[in-house]
Formats: sequence, C-alpha cells, structure tokens
Amino acid sequence: MITAQGVHKHYVDGETEVHALRGVDLTIDAGEFISIAGPSGSGKSTLLNLIGCLDSADEGEISINGTKVAGQKVAALVELRRQNIGFVFQSFNLIPVLTAYENVAMALSLLGTPDAEIRERVMSLLRDVGLEGMEHRRPSRLSGGQQQRVAVARALIKDPAIVLADEPTANLDSETGEQLLKLMKDMNRSRGTTFVFSTHDQMVMDYADRLCRLHDGEITHDERRSA
Amino acid sequence: MRSRGFLLRLAVKNLTRYGRRTVITALAIAAGVGIYIAMDSAIAGFAGESDRLYAGYETGDVAVTAPGYWEERQRFPLDRLVADPQAVIDTLRADGLSATPRTAFSGELVVRYDPFPEDGSLQAMFYGIDMDRDADVFGLLGSIEQGRAPDAGEDGLLIGRSLADRLGAEVGFPVTVTTRTRDGFHQLMDLEITGIFQTPNPVINRRAMYMPIGLVDTVLEMQGAVTHVHTVLPGNLPADADYRRVERLLADVDGVEVLSFEVMNQEMAEIMEIEDNALQIILFLLGIIAVVGISNTMLMAVLEREREIGMMRAVGVRNSEIRRMFFYEAGAIGLAGSVVGIALGSVLVWLLVNIGLDYGFLLDGVDMDFRWDGVLVGVWNVPTMGYAAVGASLVAGLASMVPVRRILKKTVTATLRDDH
Ligand SMILES: Nc1ncnc2c1ncn2[C@@H]1O[C@H](COP(=O)(O)OP(=O)(O)OP(=O)(O)O)[C@@H](O)[C@H]1O
Ligand SMILES: [Mg+2]
Repeated sequence: MITAQGVHKHYVDGETEVHALRGVDLTIDAGEFISIAGPSGSGKSTLLNLIGCLDSADEGEISINGTKVAGQKVAALVELRRQNIGFVFQSFNLIPVLTAYENVAMALSLLGTPDAEIRERVMSLLRDVGLEGMEHRRPSRLSGGQQQRVAVARALIKDPAIVLADEPTANLDSETGEQLLKLMKDMNRSRGTTFVFSTHDQMVMDYADRLCRLHDGEITHDERRSA
Repeated sequence: MRSRGFLLRLAVKNLTRYGRRTVITALAIAAGVGIYIAMDSAIAGFAGESDRLYAGYETGDVAVTAPGYWEERQRFPLDRLVADPQAVIDTLRADGLSATPRTAFSGELVVRYDPFPEDGSLQAMFYGIDMDRDADVFGLLGSIEQGRAPDAGEDGLLIGRSLADRLGAEVGFPVTVTTRTRDGFHQLMDLEITGIFQTPNPVINRRAMYMPIGLVDTVLEMQGAVTHVHTVLPGNLPADADYRRVERLLADVDGVEVLSFEVMNQEMAEIMEIEDNALQIILFLLGIIAVVGISNTMLMAVLEREREIGMMRAVGVRNSEIRRMFFYEAGAIGLAGSVVGIALGSVLVWLLVNIGLDYGFLLDGVDMDFRWDGVLVGVWNVPTMGYAAVGASLVAGLASMVPVRRILKKTVTATLRDDH
C-alpha cells in the first residue's frame, strides 16, 4: 500500500550538497509494524517525510494506497495527511495550552466530527493508551512517556491508514520507551494500523516485525521476523 | 463549520500564553480607541455648540434678506433691503413661527475721556433690534448682565462684556456712533449705554452692539426697511427641511431671499471639515500604532510557536486554518483592547459631557471666529464607539497576517527541523 521506487533526495546546504536518499526501493503492506533503522544522518527522517507527504522526492516515485504523491497539488496532500496519516514526533509536539483530551480531539474537531462522537472516541482511546483520569491535564503536568502516549492517541484518533513515528522514543528513558513501543504494537495489532517508525536504538528495532536498515541513503538490509 | 469553533477556542487559549505581552498590546489599543472616542466626542460637541451659538445669537435658524445680500454682507450694504419686513413677519407668524427684524450696519464707536479712561474710537458692527420680539428668536436680551435693555424709543445702546472691559465702559456712560444713512450721508448718534450683556458667544461679546430698531430706522432713513428678518423653528438644530418650509411660506413675497442655516454656516462648516481631517489623521496614526504593535506581538508569538505550527501543518491543518487561528488571536486582543478603550473613552466622554473641558484660559485675548466660549462640552456618539471597536479588532486581526505569512512560506519540514 506504500511503495517507494528508486527514490532520490538531495539537499543543498550552502556550498555542500547532501545526497540524503540514493535510490530507495521499499514496499510496505497494510498493517505492518516496520522500523527504519540507521545511524544519524543515514536518511531516516528524510524517508519518513517523503512517505508522510511533507516533502517531495527529486527522483523516483512514492505512492500511497495507489495514489502517486508526485504531481499532487499541495492542498490535496494536506487533505491526505489530515485524513489518512498520523504523525508521532520525537519531541512530542503537543499544544501546551490544550489538555490531553483536547490535543487528541483536535484532529476530529478539524474533520467536523460531532462533539458527542468526539467525546466517546477520545475518552475510549485515551483509556486504551493508559491515560484514564489524565484527560484534563495539560502537557506540562504529564511525564514524557505520558505526553508521547497522548501523541500516539492523537495520531490514531482519526483512524489513519498509516502512523509515521520519527524516533518516537529518543526523548524517553529506555523503560518508558519500551512501554511506548508495546503500546504502539498493541494498537497495530488491535486496530490494524500500519506503523512506520525510525530509530537507532537496538531495543526499539527488536520490537519491529520488519527491520529495514538504512545506510548513507540506501537500504542495506530488509528483514521480516515473525512476531 | 465545526473547525471554526475549535480554532476560536484554541486562539483564546493561546492568548493566555503570553499574559504580559497580550495585556500591554491590548492596553495600547485601548488607549488609542479611548483617545479616538474622546476626540470624536469633543469635536462633535464643539461643532454642535458652535452651531447652536451661531444660530441662537446671530443668524436664527433661517434668515430672510434681500436677494444678493448674503454675498455682500461683509460691507453691511444698505442698498439691499427687505422693504416690507412686516409682510414677512406676518406670513411667518400666521404659520406659528416666531420672527423678528434686525438691521445690521457698520459704524464707528467714539468714546471720550471722562467718564471713559481715555479718548478712543473703533470700527464695530451695530444692530437695530426689535426690543419686544428679539427675545423670541435670539438669546441676547436674556443675557444682559448689568443694567437693562433700552426702551423702544430710547437712545440707548447694549454692549458686550468683553468690549466694555476693553473700553472701560460702565452702564450710564455716553457714547457717539458715526455711520452713514441708507443714501450715504454721514450721521451721528449720541447714545447712552443702558446695559452690558455677556452671552456664551464670544464673537458678539467682543464686536457687536445693539440699539432699538426704531432709532436705526429714523437715523439711517430706512423708511421701514430692514436688512434681515430672522426666524426660529422647532427642533434642536436647523435642518434643510426648516429652510424649505420657510421658503414655501414666502414663495409669494417679492424681493426676498431665504437663507438656510447651512448656507450661513458654510465657513464654520469648512473649519469643521479641517477638524474632521485632523481626526482622520489621528485615526490613521492610531491605526499604524495598532498595526505595528499587533504585528510585533504576533510575530513573537508566531516565532515562538514555529514547531507547533509545523506540527499542525504536518497533521493536516490547512494554512487557511492557521491564518484563521492567528486572526482570531490578534482580533481578540483588538477586541479586548477595544472594550477597555470604550470604557476609557466613556469615562472621558462622560467628563466632557457633564463637566466639560474649560480651556478658556487658552483663549484669553485671542480673537477668533470660533463661536465658543472656552468650555468644550462633548456629545455621546455610540456608533463611533461601535465602529472603533470593530475597526480595531479587524485591523488587529489583519495585522497578524503579516507574521503568519512569514511562517507559512517555510516548508513544513523546515519548521519541524531541529528534531535532528
Ligand atoms: N533540510 C535539509 N537541508 C540540508 N541538509 C539536510 C536537510 N535535511 C537533512 N539534511 C541532511 O541529509 C542527511 C540525512 O538527514 P536525515 O535527517 O534524513 O537523517 P536521519 O537519519 O534522520 O538522522 P538523525 O538520526 O540525526 O535524525 C543528513 O546529512 C542531513 O544533514
Ligand atoms: Mg532524523
């Protein structure tokens, strides 16, 4: 359902030119729980940004559910992200003035979902991610792990086809990170949502059903493991 | 759309993030709105007062003259006269309107040492007035501060307080007035000051003197003709309809021209227009301050929230929605400022309306054509307050678009970076 074929991306930063992706071929099926692993600078974020329709490839083709990303209008890509792609960021990126509940509800409010339905879905999802009783706390009154759980709930609430998580555990201690991965995996199992996450942490890679290693902008290793 | 409600709530919550900055910006807007409201009130009050004093002491609501008199009025012509004022007065009276004749002429007032402090003379304007009817139209006879009005047949003169003080005149002092008759012959009148008046209209306090119209008729050989018939109409301030009513009544009377207050007040209206322009300029300056203040405040807000905005765009919040959110945010600052500004403006207007601003001391010895005696009284103008509030909120909202544009020009990935 997500395919990348011969994808190249390079950045020009002043005088230096960085070839961040050099011909990436990758197919991700619906419901996968896949980790993109690699050292710093290997191109993980670049790849996730392309899959997330936040940026466009210089060469090659990416398509999501059969729709080619290249050639789409910016507005169409915004709508695609609004409905179908969830994001989890390394630094949580919650809106500090909104409560956990409101941060999660935002996506549905923007989609025009009726309030009663929002309430029901958000409360039940917050329960599922283990935040029952904390719905009305603002991010400043939540731990890092709890904030990232809110972020996962925010990504999942609109029932997207894919959730992209760029180093979701990088700002968490290893125990909290592990709990978050368990949660993501649970959600992948129970909801069938595709998860694509990047990491350079061995523990995180161990949770993946499929591990792709990226090195200098190329996929050097692609391994499926049975869960 | 449901998303609007969400964006509005988010905008209001975001305002709480920068309490001090928001309050300071709102207060700056409040000061601007308050000042504007107070100035508008003062200028409207000034204009209204000026109109009332002009109509109430000099022109009446409508004046009837001979055709062409008005254009020549500066030289006080006695060759353009209303030949049969009684016909005009009777016609107006028959319709229930008060009317009174006046004859205006220029002349020289001559005073001599003892009882006056020194010899002297000055050019002045004189009016023959109907001692019985003048008060039906004008406030003059009700403003006598010292002494009394001359009887209809008496050789008496009324002079204003300012002029009396300048000349050292007292009630009972003799004066001489030299002028020319209707046919241009020199004439001399020996009069006695019977009263000194003090009206709220400083122009006539300084420059005008009044005597019985019968005396003027005899001395100037007017043969019953007068320069003006003035009338007063019901209602607060003279309007166009008043003028048309009088014009209709007098359609059959020959040799007269009906002057509306609007025509007679032209020069004053032009001065008011300049005041109005001054208000526009102040409004413009206040607008610029609001724009600069708001865009600066919003620029800081936008820069601080760059990553957050990047996140929102990444998850599919449209640029239009981001803009809307900041529009609401800035608009709310503008609205809060306007509400405080209206409160502030209302206090100032209340003071202007109920106490007035006494700046008479500024005018001492200044000879101006403004008809107001140095106490400025404001008026309430609720629509102005509404416009000011809506305007300030809109300007504030629009001003936020500049900094927002700056951030939306960046790519989403660029605003999200430093994740690395
Ligand atoms: N906007 C950009 N402008 C210039 N160079 C960039 C830009 N984004 C990424 N790069 C460069 O492209 C290469 C790949 O970057 P990318 O962020 O994809 O790596 P990464 O695997 O996510 O690294 P990290 O683990 O540090 O997050 C790096 O050399 C990086 O410096
Ligand atoms: Mg990265």
